[in-house]
Amino acid sequence: MSEKFHMELEDTKAHILSMAIMAEGMLRDSMIALETYDISLAAAVKERKNLLSERNDALEEEVYQLIARYQPVAKDMRAIACALKVISATERIGRYGKDIANVVIKTPENNNYTDLVNGLSLPHMSELVLSMIHDAIQAYDTGDISLIAHHSERDDRVDALRHTIFRDGITYMMEDPRTITRCTNYLMVARYLERSADHSCKIAEKVHYMVTGERIEIR
Amino acid sequence: MKYEHILETNELNLYYGESQALKKVSIQVPDRKVTALIGPSGCGKSTLIRCFNRMNDLVNGCRIEGKVRYHGQDIYAPGADPVEIRRMIGMVFQKPNPFPKSIFENVAYGPRVHGINDRKKLDGIVEKSLRDAALWDEVKDRLHESAMGLSGGQQQRLCIARTLAVEPEVILMDEPCSALDPIATSKIEVLIDELKKNYCVVIVTHNMQQASRVSDYTGFMYLGELIEFGETSQIFEHPSLELTENYITGRFG
Repeated sequence: MSEKFHMELEDTKAHILSMAIMAEGMLRDSMIALETYDISLAAAVKERKNLLSERNDALEEEVYQLIARYQPVAKDMRAIACALKVISATERIGRYGKDIANVVIKTPENNNYTDLVNGLSLPHMSELVLSMIHDAIQAYDTGDISLIAHHSERDDRVDALRHTIFRDGITYMMEDPRTITRCTNYLMVARYLERSADHSCKIAEKVHYMVTGERIEIR
Repeated sequence: MKYEHILETNELNLYYGESQALKKVSIQVPDRKVTALIGPSGCGKSTLIRCFNRMNDLVNGCRIEGKVRYHGQDIYAPGADPVEIRRMIGMVFQKPNPFPKSIFENVAYGPRVHGINDRKKLDGIVEKSLRDAALWDEVKDRLHESAMGLSGGQQQRLCIARTLAVEPEVILMDEPCSALDPIATSKIEVLIDELKKNYCVVIVTHNMQQASRVSDYTGFMYLGELIEFGETSQIFEHPSLELTENYITGRFG
């Protein structure tokens, strides 16, 4: 395999990292918009969705071209397998950011219920999830798999939190049916966050494969 | 009796005069599988397969230390017969080298040398060998025309048929496709896949993609040493050694 391939692979990796950071930013900003009820920030997140899709398609094409032209093997092949997963997983994460932005836009402002977001521990959950995503992307960038060594346990905490939020949400709704619309929307947010954490686990699995050649399952 | 490993070397050293071309090579070649040897030019892969049927005997100043065993028997032992060894362990070379004779005579040559003169028997051997080499349908109507009129790919398959005609157990191939175009190469690769049902095939190739496509086992050689040997799927997905990984991903060589 030529030096040219490795230069192109490095370029593609840089493009993928840029897309991953964009997707992570969409999720982060959507949660800030939710916590601060910032409609214009939510709208800005939504606008980024089209650009994200375009980058997803272009990067997939870039990777397919590398496969078609160079037929990489061994660690080069593993880097390609990982790259494809990082592209698709981060695209999903960015889209969950867009979905959360939609929740912000569609949930009517009502000062009586502004504490619900905090009451349901959504900011805490998003901190856990965003740190998992950040570490998975960092691990992809640097090849340092110690960053993803505890992804499984971290994912367990996120799952448990989502379950708690679900139960809390039901309690709020039973206490005051006027919160039902808002709570069901927030339960969806918890669901989107939990799925985003799952996607970070998928990235972590492939980064582990890229670095070690060993396939593991993180659940 | 079938040996799981039909060929093996043990701590094999080979010298061309003063220079050492193989260094303590120990390899076990499994029967009815395709084993590929890869490595940069001059790494000793051709030298190694030439040890398997004593082709290096013909090189001046070449001497070996260590053992090469075929069915457990040392083929360099004083009583070993190189002609019989080369019948059982046939070889196909980089450039197709048919004799300037008819297609039929090319294939019948070996059996004739080994004393078969019965015409019917020879007809049967020629047809079977050409069929096994996936050439029969293309040449059955012109068996008595010159082999030199065949295309490069056909000539190479004819050489394979010529090898098969003396009923070997092992077929050594030294860069069998490097002088062929992609379509002829692909035919040889399909043929190799067929051959391994009945023969042990050892192939030396510069083309790593070819090694990954056709072989079950791959050995990576570097500077006269066998660096890594393992299942092809493992070598090309996650080799154990960084040197192997760096070679197959083109970081050197």
